[in-house]
Amino acid sequence: MNGDEYLDLRLGDFLERLGTGHPAPGSGSASALTVAFAAGLVAMVARRSADSWEDSAGVAAQALLLQARAAPLALADAEVWEQALEALETAGGDTKPKGELEQKLDLSAEVPVQIAEAAADTALLAALAAELGEGAYRADAAAAAVLAAAGARAAAHLVSVNLAIQEGDDRLVRARASEETAADAAARALDAGR
Amino acid sequence: MRTVAVTLSDSELVQRCRASDPEAWNELVERFSRYVYAICSQGFRLSPADAEDVFQDVFTRVYTRLDTLRDDSALRPWIGQLTRRRCLDLIAAAGRVQPVEEVAPDGRETSVDELDEAFAVREALAQLSEPCQEMLDRFFARDESYRMISRDLDLPSGTIASRISRCLHQLREELEGKK
Repeated sequence: MNGDEYLDLRLGDFLERLGTGHPAPGSGSASALTVAFAAGLVAMVARRSADSWEDSAGVAAQALLLQARAAPLALADAEVWEQALEALETAGGDTKPKGELEQKLDLSAEVPVQIAEAAADTALLAALAAELGEGAYRADAAAAAVLAAAGARAAAHLVSVNLAIQEGDDRLVRARASEETAADAAARALDAGR
Repeated sequence: MRTVAVTLSDSELVQRCRASDPEAWNELVERFSRYVYAICSQGFRLSPADAEDVFQDVFTRVYTRLDTLRDDSALRPWIGQLTRRRCLDLIAAAGRVQPVEEVAPDGRETSVDELDEAFAVREALAQLSEPCQEMLDRFFARDESYRMISRDLDLPSGTIASRISRCLHQLREELEGKK
């Protein structure tokens, strides 16, 4: 399945695909789409807050950009994950990363890092919307922050269990920092959105 | 050393060109050369040789007909229109498309409209403060994360989104001020 076609799937078809037993799309793709949903919610809150929040248009623009960054990562993750699985199967029981396998695993680690970073930014933006957006929609912004934080946490976990990643690896450091940033932002958003 | 400030408005630039200020003419060509080339190459997909012909012709016409420009602030749209006409004339002469008024081939006019918008944004962006330009470029053009922007510009990460919003607000004001 090629790139654009993948993102053009109806939501129901995508959900069905998730449950088919095929390994991709998997948790990385689901995380990326969760972040994209969260970013969409932030854009909605910002747009609904135009009358009371001077910076709302700028927040909406940023949210839409983050959505555009996160959504294609659903496909990217499915692709690199499938390739990594194929390389793992080819390598048989030997899970020690070498050569092509190592390269595929490396690639499959980078995408979740990007998901985690997009998630952290989305959570920060959602926290801002929860604090300054229109009162009636602050709960939506808080929900967006929680979704984004979940995406960051899941993506960071995927990085940490990747066979190509060792403790201290820069990608793991970035993913964990994003996870932490997103969690803090979600806590702030929940406080503000009550 | 350049004596014409790049911050001159288009109207001021036109006035100085009309007063036969050679530096102003240099500035005019410099300011609009990328725009004209972009219309030729990206909007109409002309070859480099054809684009060069159109470029020479457009600036010759600007030089000889500047007095016919009614609204000095409409310099860019005027140059854009001249360029589009010359591109279409050249294409039509080569028998590649229909004559000017009927032409809207494969979305090329849309592409030129987008170029106009992109150049307007670029100009407005140039009027913003350096930090604003830097931040918008990093986030929207270079796809950098808030964390990376915060680290490189030595700013608290929690303030980046707000700063970008304020810069976007200023950009919008610049763009609306030019309409």
